[in-house]
Amino acid sequence: MADPELLLDSSIRMWVVLPIVFITFFVGIIRHYVTQLLHSDKKVDLEQVSDSQVLLRSRILRENGKYIPRQSFAMRKHYFNDAETGFFKKVKRKVVPKNPMTDTSMLTDMMKGNLTNVLPMIVIGGWINWAFSGFVITKVPFPLTLRFKPMLQRGIDLLSLDASWVSSASWYFLNVFGLRSMYSLILGQDNAADQSRVMQDQMTGAAMAMPPDPNKAFKSEWEALEIVEHKWALENVEEDLMSRDLNFGTFFSQDIKSTMF
Amino acid sequence: MASISEMYDVGWEEMRDKLRKWREDNCRNSEQIVDVGEELISEHSSKLGDDVWIIYEQVMIAALDCSRDDLALTCLQELRKQFPDSHRVKRLSGMRLEALERYDEANKHYDSILQDDPTNTSARKRKISILKAQGKTAEAIRELNEYLEQFVGDQEAWHELSELYINEHDYGKAAFCLEELMMSNPHNHLYCEQYAEVKYTQGGLENLELSRKYFAQALRLNNRNMRALFGLYMSASHIAASPKVSAKVKKDNMKYAGWAATQINRAYKLAGRGTKESKCSMKAVEEMLESMQITMS
Repeated sequence: MADPELLLDSSIRMWVVLPIVFITFFVGIIRHYVTQLLHSDKKVDLEQVSDSQVLLRSRILRENGKYIPRQSFAMRKHYFNDAETGFFKKVKRKVVPKNPMTDTSMLTDMMKGNLTNVLPMIVIGGWINWAFSGFVITKVPFPLTLRFKPMLQRGIDLLSLDASWVSSASWYFLNVFGLRSMYSLILGQDNAADQSRVMQDQMTGAAMAMPPDPNKAFKSEWEALEIVEHKWALENVEEDLMSRDLNFGTFFSQDIKSTMF
Repeated sequence: MASISEMYDVGWEEMRDKLRKWREDNCRNSEQIVDVGEELISEHSSKLGDDVWIIYEQVMIAALDCSRDDLALTCLQELRKQFPDSHRVKRLSGMRLEALERYDEANKHYDSILQDDPTNTSARKRKISILKAQGKTAEAIRELNEYLEQFVGDQEAWHELSELYINEHDYGKAAFCLEELMMSNPHNHLYCEQYAEVKYTQGGLENLELSRKYFAQALRLNNRNMRALFGLYMSASHIAASPKVSAKVKKDNMKYAGWAATQINRAYKLAGRGTKESKCSMKAVEEMLESMQITMS
């Protein structure tokens, strides 16, 4: 349909758009400091640390095993994978399934996470919805379908209004995600005000940290190590080396000045 | 005595950056650190901001190395005031006790840290170094082995263990430790070269072949490693001179040794360029190479 350009009152810009930006920004910074205050050190289990390092060593053996002699590689592979005495076959860890409802530390962490992240978002989103309702704030630069209207135009019941015109609530959400890069500029990387990363972490969290089931990890590592073959990288090292003269560069040409500054 | 900033005409920012570079490169030039750091903290501590704490730690460890107990104590007291319950500071006070040779008290310090936090690696490593300082190498080796069973990825510990084994002349186990290091740092030519040296010391035809290969690998990774070049020459000529090898192997190894000798000559020629004694030093190198050459039948 023909797009009648709505002319918005400039006081909307001054009293609505900018305040929402500032509110989102400052709430984010406050959230960052509050999270730091409430932060409790995670107690690491010695066994977990040890297991993760063993898995790392096995992975390095798979990847870089070709740099050590064949016999040494065979010795290590035997240590890990032997049917009776191999590490991955022998060691079975007791797996305590971490039920989020009963495990106290995880429960408090979850509560703290909810408190600092979700609660302010709901409270402020609702307040903005109530305070700045009934008018459109801005127009998004791309056309949207009509399905987005009830989501983005809360409180405005105009059927003929283009879906690109959005209300304050959607502007608020846009800010929450858009100011992420601003936070990293000001607060440095890895800051607690970054909400979307928190949500991302919850999804991929299991992959990064030590998986709660070390037995499964051991089994998959065993399988991976079984199929690795040793192809010594040093088979033809002399021929490669002697194909040309050594390149000494400027190493021997002058005295190397060595002072402190 | 002139201060560092006057001698080298540098400002406090450059001194701070230099300290940071030494920290990141893990250099152990303790006298220089003490000189630069002492001036920095006595005159410019207010300008350093939060950096001052890590500089205190760095200067304190360097001061212990140079036997400057007064400076070490000052730094430690500042750190204790700022971080009263920190394990890291507790470890530093343990190190000071070690420097004063009060080993039992130091051990008690480290034990209390470990009670609080069993995964603390630095306290365990300090205990092992106490054993080493007291000369109890066998116990140190045993403790280090236990430590490594739990923290398999700690490269510093692997290196220390290889050194201890070399001191005890247990070259087979030292080679094992160096293999771990080579696997995790395949591009580090120094580990290859050390491994080759251990294999060469072990002796025996197989080990000599391995050592020759690893000397060559070290050279491939870094063309300027003179030690590896000499090692290549020695191992190749040793194999060629051995009576048990086949003719082909002998020929190959003589070729390798010859190539290594040429490269050594080249290096000395380059180094002696422009100096008057170059002819004499070249002659000396050639004579040395000939004397090292074990006569071949």
